[in-house]
Amino acid sequence: MSNAEDAQLPISAPNDLIMRQAVRDSTPLFIPAIPFALVLGVAITESAMPTGIAWSTNLFIFAGAAQLATVSLAATATWLTLVATAAAINLRHVMYSAALAPRFGDQPRWFRWVGPYFLIDQTFALVSARTRLSADTWRRYYLTVGTFFFVLWNIAVVAGMVVGSSIPSEWRLDVAPAVMFAGLVVLGLTNWPGVVAAITGAALCFVSLGVPNNGGILIGAMSGVAAGYIADVVLDGRNLSTRGFPQ
Amino acid sequence: MSSAAALSAVLVVGLVTYSSRAGLILFLAERPLPPALVRALRYVGPAVLSALTVNLIAGGEGSSGVEVTEIAAICVAVIVALITRNLIASLTAGMVTLWLLLLLF
Repeated sequence: MSNAEDAQLPISAPNDLIMRQAVRDSTPLFIPAIPFALVLGVAITESAMPTGIAWSTNLFIFAGAAQLATVSLAATATWLTLVATAAAINLRHVMYSAALAPRFGDQPRWFRWVGPYFLIDQTFALVSARTRLSADTWRRYYLTVGTFFFVLWNIAVVAGMVVGSSIPSEWRLDVAPAVMFAGLVVLGLTNWPGVVAAITGAALCFVSLGVPNNGGILIGAMSGVAAGYIADVVLDGRNLSTRGFPQ
Repeated sequence: MSSAAALSAVLVVGLVTYSSRAGLILFLAERPLPPALVRALRYVGPAVLSALTVNLIAGGEGSSGVEVTEIAAICVAVIVALITRNLIASLTAGMVTLWLLLLLF
């Protein structure tokens, strides 16, 4: 994808060179994830779930936004609402899976099972830019990036758990997940239909707050997707959706 | 939420997450996803996350659970995110706003 980045690595490279490059590429992408991990760590200590189970989302889910939704919703949502919401957040990973599937064609079977576990946003951004590497070199690069994020993510979340249990509740750190999600929504917007989807999702969830079992989340989410889809179709016809969201 | 319910929720979310990531890689689907599906998937993130934000502010108590201080914190976070495109700045500004308002009122 990116010739400039591929140029730094020969198509086939010795292991230590690949691993060093993978760490060098990953480090700047990890920094924005640090506050996220801290907020999640705090949310784990405040979760209505037993702390050990909330912590286990690091192993079983390994996806920041879905983890944060899972541990935060446990206090108020029903099992089904919680699962549907957290699972929906990660549906975008299907797009990553589709984009990388061809590159997995000449990979060993074990890596086709293991690789996807590490397919978080950052991993996708890095490995999809280096698909021209040889099969062995790309696999080594992929696994180094994945392990790097997995290890540092777990350390940062535990740091957040330590912080969370030592800060008094008057600081209202329980509000941090909502503030975090609000920022994430904005940063995830790349076009006008996305804005339509976000505003519709928020508005419909608000008017259906009275719906039992937190059904408002799912009502908001489904209306938001539908509105975004329709806006995309309508605006694409007028060739406006490529205009992007103003910075 | 009971331990069994919590653990099963974590495992099911984990399974769906892994399936989203692994499905097409395991089947080595070389065909691109249907354009309509890609179109819809693109808007799942904004729609779910914004609905979730509203729900978390309400805290499961309907619209009576919405506090002015929290609304202010969210608004500041959104504005700072729009201006800076930086999550750390957005989160910090939102929380500082909350703390200032809690101090004042």
